Amino acid sequence: MKETPSLIVRYIARRAVPFIQLYALYVLGHGEDGPGGGFQGGVIFAASFVLLALAYGWGRGRASVPEKVADVIAPAGCLLYAGIGFVSLLIGGAFLQYDAFAGPGADQAARKTAHHFGLIGIELGVMLTVTASMVILFFEMARPAEDEAAEEGATFEQAGHIPEGPRAEESLDG
Amino acid sequence: MHDIHVAITVLVLVGVLITLPRALKGPTLMDRILAVNVIGTKTIVLLALVGFLQVELGIDRGAPADDFSRAGFWLDIALAYSLINFIATIAVLKYLERRAVRHETGATKETP
Repeated sequence: MKETPSLIVRYIARRAVPFIQLYALYVLGHGEDGPGGGFQGGVIFAASFVLLALAYGWGRGRASVPEKVADVIAPAGCLLYAGIGFVSLLIGGAFLQYDAFAGPGADQAARKTAHHFGLIGIELGVMLTVTASMVILFFEMARPAEDEAAEEGATFEQAGHIPEGPRAEESLDG
Repeated sequence: MHDIHVAITVLVLVGVLITLPRALKGPTLMDRILAVNVIGTKTIVLLALVGFLQVELGIDRGAPADDFSRAGFWLDIALAYSLINFIATIAVLKYLERRAVRHETGATKETP
C-alpha cells in the first residue's frame, strides 16, 4: 500500500506545523505564570511531528527527526535539568536553587532574574526530553509492519530489519 | 453584558446536545467523525466563553469583575485544544483509510 495523502491535508499540515511549534514555545515560556510549562510545551511540539508523519507518511516524518537525534536529545534534556541543579550546588546554593546563580551578595532584583533564567533552563530540559520521548514512542508504535513495507517494494537485508530514513518513492511523491 | 454571554454559552451547549445523538448512533462512521469534530469545535468556543464568564460572574476569586487578563488562560487552552482536535481527526481518518484499503483484498461489508 502506497502512502498517498490528500493534497489538502498535506498543504494544511505544512502550513500548520510552524505555528504549532511556535505555540509550543509560547506554552513553554508562559509556564511560570499561566497554564503550561515544559511538559505541555513538549507534548505540543511533538504533536507537530505526529501531524507531519500523518500527512506525509512514516518515512518522511521519521526523516524530520532522525532516530539518532531523538535518542540523543531525550537524555540531553535530563542532563540539562540535573546539570543546572548540580551547577547551583557547585557555586554554593542548594540543589536547583536558581537564585544562587546571581552570586553571593547579589541584590533582590538580580536574584529574581537569576531565578527566572534557572526556571526557564530546567523547563527547556523537560521540554527536550518530553518532545524526544513522545517522538520516539510515536514512531516506534506507528512503524509500518513488515508485510506493508514489502508491498511497497522495500527490500530487507536481513529478517527483522526495517530500513531507516525516507524511502525513495515516498520522498518523490511529496 | 454577561447575560448575553450566558445566553450564547447555553446556545452552544444546546448545539452540542443536538450533535450528540449523531455521534452516538450515526449510521456511518463518517457521521460519527463529523459529529465528534463539530463537538470539538464547539468545545473550543465554550472554553473561550467560560473564560469570560468566569471573570464576569465573579467566580474567579481575587480578580475584579472587569479584569479580563485571566480570561487569556482559557484562550490558551482553547488554542491547544483546536490543534489537538485537528491532529486527532486526521489521525482517525488516516487509520480508517488504511483499514479500508487493507480490507478491500479480503471479504468485508463494513467499509465506510
